[in-house]
Amino acid sequence: MTLTEDERWALVDRISEQVIKSGTYKQSLGDVLGELTVKPLTGIPVAVGVLYAFWSVFGSFAGTLCTDGFFVKFFDNYFLPWIQSVWPNPDGILYFLFVGDPNATNCFEAFGVLTSGLFVAIGVVLPAVFIFYLMMALLEDSGYLPRLAVLVDTFLHKIGLHGYAIVPTILGLGCNVPAVTATRILETKKQRFMMMTLIALFIPCGAQLGVMIEVIPESIGYVMLFLIIGYFVFGYILSKIVPGENPEILIDVPPYHMPQRDNILKKLKMRTGGFLLNAVPFVLFGVLLVNLMYLFGFIQWLSDIMAPMFVTWFGLPKETAGPLVAAFLRKDLAVAQLSVIEMTQYQMISAVVLISIYFPCVATFVVMLKEGWKELLAAVAVLLSVAFIYGGIIHAVGIILGVA
Amino acid sequence: MKDERSMILLIGNPNVGKSVLFNRLTGGDAVVSNYPGTTVDYTKGTVLLDKKSYTVIDVPGAYSLEARDKAEEVCVKMLEANKNAIAVIVLDATRIERGLYIALETIERGLSAVVALNMIDSARDREISVDSSKLQKILGIPVVETSAVSGEGLKQLGDMIRKARPSNIKEIKERSEGKEIQPETGSKCPGCCGGCGGV
Repeated sequence: MTLTEDERWALVDRISEQVIKSGTYKQSLGDVLGELTVKPLTGIPVAVGVLYAFWSVFGSFAGTLCTDGFFVKFFDNYFLPWIQSVWPNPDGILYFLFVGDPNATNCFEAFGVLTSGLFVAIGVVLPAVFIFYLMMALLEDSGYLPRLAVLVDTFLHKIGLHGYAIVPTILGLGCNVPAVTATRILETKKQRFMMMTLIALFIPCGAQLGVMIEVIPESIGYVMLFLIIGYFVFGYILSKIVPGENPEILIDVPPYHMPQRDNILKKLKMRTGGFLLNAVPFVLFGVLLVNLMYLFGFIQWLSDIMAPMFVTWFGLPKETAGPLVAAFLRKDLAVAQLSVIEMTQYQMISAVVLISIYFPCVATFVVMLKEGWKELLAAVAVLLSVAFIYGGIIHAVGIILGVA
Repeated sequence: MKDERSMILLIGNPNVGKSVLFNRLTGGDAVVSNYPGTTVDYTKGTVLLDKKSYTVIDVPGAYSLEARDKAEEVCVKMLEANKNAIAVIVLDATRIERGLYIALETIERGLSAVVALNMIDSARDREISVDSSKLQKILGIPVVETSAVSGEGLKQLGDMIRKARPSNIKEIKERSEGKEIQPETGSKCPGCCGGCGGV
């Protein structure tokens, strides 16, 4: 025998009545905080504060303290001169691949597997992902994320999204891979597709942010501005043109919990370990591959073919085609590569924005494939067109403002 | 799946602590966060209970078995693929009424089940008292009070998993309406429903 939905709910009521007794409700500290953080009047300042604190801790810990304070000095003053002096035959192929430019004075410009590769992976990105995941774990475990979702719900509705979209979005700032998986919580195919595409397009990952904060600290604000505008504008357009339903999502807001130290440490260990094991080899392999492509003239060939589009349409130097190839492997690596190309600040901003949006990195690509190959193909088509259109728009804006 | 009777599925609403329970039981690495929908795919682990090894699956949270999102789809698929598995139905003790729906659906599917009344400490803090022996009587399956975060009740839950049993929805309905339990229901599982819940 099975029950109908109504009968089942009636039974739930009858059982609940008999087994649950609620005492008098006492407001706890958590309840008060819960109220204050979802009511717009107090909640919005709190949200701004939380996000600002997140950003400043991220920047000062990863950028200023770890990278500039320690790793830059260590790599540029000790490691680079040492490896340049001990690696034999500066004119050989192996030297070029692994050490890079024999005259380089810093690890960004050398571009060898063991110089730039190690420096970017360990010196720049590792501190960034470490501090990001630590703060992320605190946000996740306290129960703040769903409250942020409630707070931005009305606002996101105006552009055809939902408050809950903020959860995969913020997860994506750490790494796009779990963010794409997190879109499963959304109800319809349309919503999942939209979110997945928007994340792959406009959400830079923690590794990429870490490199950006290191190499273009003065421009990162503008890059983020362009990405945020793109997120909303193209979010709105997608919600209008993608077929399917966009029903209301009900979000369950859990009570605040004190984050458990053990759980935080466990997540931190798992995720940072995951970065060391999975991402670091990719960065090193990426540098190797890009160097090999330089060696065989592939990058030169590609730059020449792409030159008309890059120079006239995007307003970028044609050498930016090289980093675009690397961006498929790791976006952090691509940004590091861009930083040594001669260009104006505005060109740098548009190049970094393009790197972020034109294609997902290989890890994100694979996890998107798991969500369905049709969706992946559609997403890639959207990605390429958006990169083309938005890149042109950014160039036009630059021309109008007189900075391009 | 080879021996389905050694399979344990953790089922319940999102954010009721299934993943914490999973990690407690298996020593596993399921990611735990305080927002609904953290687990969107299943995680597998093993636990040794009284020298028998069980495969434990942390199923994504669901409000019902009429799958509405992709996480719920995974949950329904897990249940269909493992019809002889033991279901550990995890309820949030502070909001039982919400989780009972999927609990009843799971029971209707004929799975051997046991209820973990989780977050019992939060319920106490909020002065919500739950008559777990009454719940056990009505549902006809073992009910154990647990707090996965602090570890309370986990030993008992482990013992009770072996006493998990199917129940009959018609009898549940009758018992909820105050009709006396038929004697044969109690005797199917000696010592498990009368008083041994002990809670």
